[in-house]
Amino acid sequence: MRILLVEDDKLLGDGIRAGLMLASYAVDWVRDGEMALRALTDHSYDACVLDLGLPKKDGIAVLRELRQRNNRTPVIVLTARDTKNDKIIGLDSGADHYLTKPFDLGELEAHIRAVVRRAGDVVQPLLVHRGVTLDPASKQASIDGKPVPLSGREYALLLDFMSHPEHLRSRTQLEESLYAWGEEVESNALEVYIHHLRKKLGADFIQTVRGLGYRLRSDAK
Amino acid sequence: MKRRSPAGGAGSLRWRLLTAVGIAVLLLWIFTGWFSYHQSGHEAEELMDGNLAQTGRLLMAIVEDNEAQLGPLAARLATVRGAADNVYEPPLEFQIGRGDGTILARSANAPDLPVLGVTDYSDIIRATGSWRVLNVASTDGRYRVQVSQSIALRDIAALEVAERTILPLALISPILILLIYFSIRSGLRPLDTLAGDVATRSPDNLAPLDKKPVPTEARPLVTALNRLLARLGRTLENERRFTADAAHELRTPLAALKVQTQVARRSRDATLRDHALGQIESGVDRATHLVEQLLRLARLDPLKSVESAAPIDLRAILTEAAGQARNASPPAAQKIIETYPPGDLISHGDADLIGIAIRNLLDNAIRYTQSEHTVWLEASTGADGYTLSVRDNGPGVPPATLARLGERFYRGRETSAEGNGLGLAIVTRVAELHGARFEVANAPGGGFVASMAGLPARRPASA
Repeated sequence: MRILLVEDDKLLGDGIRAGLMLASYAVDWVRDGEMALRALTDHSYDACVLDLGLPKKDGIAVLRELRQRNNRTPVIVLTARDTKNDKIIGLDSGADHYLTKPFDLGELEAHIRAVVRRAGDVVQPLLVHRGVTLDPASKQASIDGKPVPLSGREYALLLDFMSHPEHLRSRTQLEESLYAWGEEVESNALEVYIHHLRKKLGADFIQTVRGLGYRLRSDAK
Repeated sequence: MKRRSPAGGAGSLRWRLLTAVGIAVLLLWIFTGWFSYHQSGHEAEELMDGNLAQTGRLLMAIVEDNEAQLGPLAARLATVRGAADNVYEPPLEFQIGRGDGTILARSANAPDLPVLGVTDYSDIIRATGSWRVLNVASTDGRYRVQVSQSIALRDIAALEVAERTILPLALISPILILLIYFSIRSGLRPLDTLAGDVATRSPDNLAPLDKKPVPTEARPLVTALNRLLARLGRTLENERRFTADAAHELRTPLAALKVQTQVARRSRDATLRDHALGQIESGVDRATHLVEQLLRLARLDPLKSVESAAPIDLRAILTEAAGQARNASPPAAQKIIETYPPGDLISHGDADLIGIAIRNLLDNAIRYTQSEHTVWLEASTGADGYTLSVRDNGPGVPPATLARLGERFYRGRETSAEGNGLGLAIVTRVAELHGARFEVANAPGGGFVASMAGLPARRPASA
């Protein structure tokens, strides 16, 4: 899961990024409205956390422009303005959720899970595929009820697969979902994580499509 | 309709107009009535006098030519009477006599008067009645004719004529008053519409009032109202902006502290936890600085002038501020160049406050420029005192935001530098307290310059 964080305050941005990375999200952090629009145009994000008081371009303007371009990235707005009117303007400009500062990190993560779920047309908070259950809230995986311990990257990778159970995931897509800008990607890291997941969940749980990427083995086969 | 303003005040315009016009019409009516009444009464009397003279001469002519038949003629003439039911024909009495005063003939009710009176009109007033009398003498003096009319009856006739003249006036006046009332009401209706328009507005609606349906006389009022609405709108907008800016500046550090604390608690990794704790510490520092600035402003706000004004050496204050910036931790990355005119720079005011203001300006310049830029700290002398400026060759400020610099919690420059938007507000206040101005501009060659202009060159006379 890759998140774009738009926050001009150094201290708050740093904290949110650290918090979301602890929750195994790949987080890109930009600090003004124009950079935010550019990032949202150039990359695909699972969600965007957007502060409203931004230099160069106000958060509301970013939101309106984004929606005008038919970009469907779920947006959670962070703001210090807490009047009813501000919330209405925020939501009507295209925000999916609204959080007033100061807020709880756990609440922010829950909002992210909710908007990601909705964007993927998923109703169930638990992701289930061929006996494997993944709970994004507790970041716990289990096979037939028995818990399977996962590292942060392994969890992030499994979450990506199970969020797109029918789709072939290219190597680039998987890497984009795992790593934020500037994070060093070792050349065979992805293979290592997939190897670990296969060991924990069964060798045929993830299939390799030669030259194209990976996918979850479907039930039909 | 009878809505009147509560006690005092100018009252209802409609009623004032109605009363004024009503009284004017009534006075005019009374005067016209009184005048017509008298005029027509007078005319009626003249007509009746004419009648009297004609009758007298007619009688004289008859008498002169018919002396032989005077006896039967007098009896015949005495039967000629005015019509009893016609006030315009009051009964006419007569006496006919010889030049020696003997009566030849007389009408039955003729007053008992000598026929040898003055040959002219006269009013004879007796206890039994009053008469208008005319004596006529024949040219040879042999005969006298006296005609008379009861003054009471003549007065009734004159009164009748006068009354008929003023009757239409009396009938017209209520219609006139009614017409006046309706024209005043319809004339003032646009004002009612305007009042209704204003009264039914929601408090949020500060859009200007429509001037078109309003009469010319009320337009200045609408213009003034619109001006007031516009001012109110600007004030509200400022208030809203201030609240939003203040909320942002006050809540963001708290949000950062909370998030960083949660990160620290969740981190298993010691490096991550240390980093978060370090961030918390700097967050607390920032919040402390914010609170200090707020308290400083709160302390300066109620003051009208500097509390402990004394002669101050501006050169020493500037030098110290520059030194502090160079020796801060971390020290300013920019080169700071000081330029002062020769001689003493002695002003009058509060050295601590001026020092704080200069440090804020320096701080600002350092914060919003990069290490390759230069900051100039300058002082100059002019007609209105000293000007202290901090200038840089950085990116400058967008013209649109220049005017808002100095507003509380407003951060003008389009970068993500840390600041709480109170520094320049404090400088503005310090300048005000010293009778000086806070001025900002983009430097001609690029960069930004902020000054306190008009610091007193000597002790002000009033201090």
